[in-house]
Amino acid sequence: MEESRLAPQGRATPELPGPFAVGTYARKLQGWMRERARVQLIGEVTGVGRSKVQAYFELRDGEGAIPCAIWLNDLEKAGLDGAGLRDGAEVVISGGLDYYPGGGQASPNFCFRATHVRLAGEGDLIARLEALRKQLRAEGLFELQKQLRRPVLPKAIGVVTAERGAARRDLLAGLERRGWGGSLIWGFAPVQDRHAAPAIAMALQDLAARPEVEAIVVTRGGGSLADLWAFCDETLCRTVAMLRVPVISAVGHERDSTLIDDVAAVACSTPTHAAEAAVPLDCLAARESLERCVVALRRAGEGAIGTRSRHLGALARGPARALQRERGKLNQKIREIRAATERGLADRAGSQRRIGTVVLERARRRAIGADMDKRRDALHRAAVALRAHEPERTLERGYALVEDEGGEPLASAAEAGAAERISLRFSDGRVRAKPEPDDAA
Amino acid sequence: MDESEQNPSPTTQPDSYEAAVERLEEIIDRLDSGQAGLRETLDLCSEGKQLVTYCAAELDEVGAGLKELRLDDLAAKLDSASDVG
Repeated sequence: MEESRLAPQGRATPELPGPFAVGTYARKLQGWMRERARVQLIGEVTGVGRSKVQAYFELRDGEGAIPCAIWLNDLEKAGLDGAGLRDGAEVVISGGLDYYPGGGQASPNFCFRATHVRLAGEGDLIARLEALRKQLRAEGLFELQKQLRRPVLPKAIGVVTAERGAARRDLLAGLERRGWGGSLIWGFAPVQDRHAAPAIAMALQDLAARPEVEAIVVTRGGGSLADLWAFCDETLCRTVAMLRVPVISAVGHERDSTLIDDVAAVACSTPTHAAEAAVPLDCLAARESLERCVVALRRAGEGAIGTRSRHLGALARGPARALQRERGKLNQKIREIRAATERGLADRAGSQRRIGTVVLERARRRAIGADMDKRRDALHRAAVALRAHEPERTLERGYALVEDEGGEPLASAAEAGAAERISLRFSDGRVRAKPEPDDAA
Repeated sequence: MDESEQNPSPTTQPDSYEAAVERLEEIIDRLDSGQAGLRETLDLCSEGKQLVTYCAAELDEVGAGLKELRLDDLAAKLDSASDVG
């Protein structure tokens, strides 16, 4: 390159080579780019346009985009001419970097020159999905939502879904069956194309920012993995993982597994299932259960008082009954005693009579005995006294008793002098005598 | 009767519906066991009635009928309110 001819008069940036002629540089740039390695890219087609000879589009995902071009004949060979190459299609393209230097009138253009294009298959998407899944799991993002508390009876639920989708209707039906009639805040968003993931993420963030929202449902109907690809968007899934409100995902059908299912608090197979997960409590059943609780409480309260009242009543009547019982026993005893007494009295009277007789007899005998003794003593004493006064005792002491012939005692000398004969009685015999007059007289 | 048995928990406003229901089930189980004395029974019944009232109010809040709102409308109201402010 003729540097001196191209060099400017001044050297504003003397440390850099050049200046070079731009056309020359552009052609060299084209050659350098075409020498880069040829690769395959996967992404979503957007902004499809066509010229007479080639088709233009951008291949994009959540991280960035590259302008692409493909000759129409290559597109035809790939079987994607016509409407095959359309906005929103997930495709795999093969090719390499290219640069069109332009010209005096034509504008330069950079692009990825695709020589082959095909719609992305499940295998391509699954491989990308697994790589993302592995990465997010390693970062612990699958666990964050699952640690959030989910209220059994939320009063306000946010829902992110398409405004005109069957999922919306199914979710409403599910909530109605639950008997739930709280506030439902719709965050409508596209659910399929490159605009879907950012719009869904924004709706989720706005709903989570509302203090009344206690759970958020993200739902859409079934489709291919490519159709559901927005729900595998890395940025969206990172957003969900960081929300403070539990997110319930119900994307696609049971067999579909998107990345948002992994990061959400709960993954459901259908919008109906999501309604049950958002409102775990069956409100209709809960009301019935509550009524049963009311009955049980009333029964327990009344029963506790009633049972104890009856018990207390029984206790209160107890003494009276016991008294009555004892009174009956007492009366019986009295009757028995009376009867026994009457019998006893009769027996006793007889017995006492017998005893009296015996006693009297004994008394009589005792009395008789004592009298006899006294009499005997008196008799003895009289006998002694009599014997003391017996004339024999006097006679024994040497005295003599003067008696008449008839044996009558003569107590004076006159009587003895008057008698013709007298008898002198000594203790050992008698002596007859004839009284003589006393000469002295 | 032994009145010195466990005292019922102090009656406070439950943290959530599920907490209220959980406590209510404990109360019913205790009452059904027949082991609660008269004082405890009456206290449990009183607490249970308060919990039932709370739960019924919670159910009433979501029983009046579904109210549908749009996030866009709420955001617009919020914007207009902040503009006025």
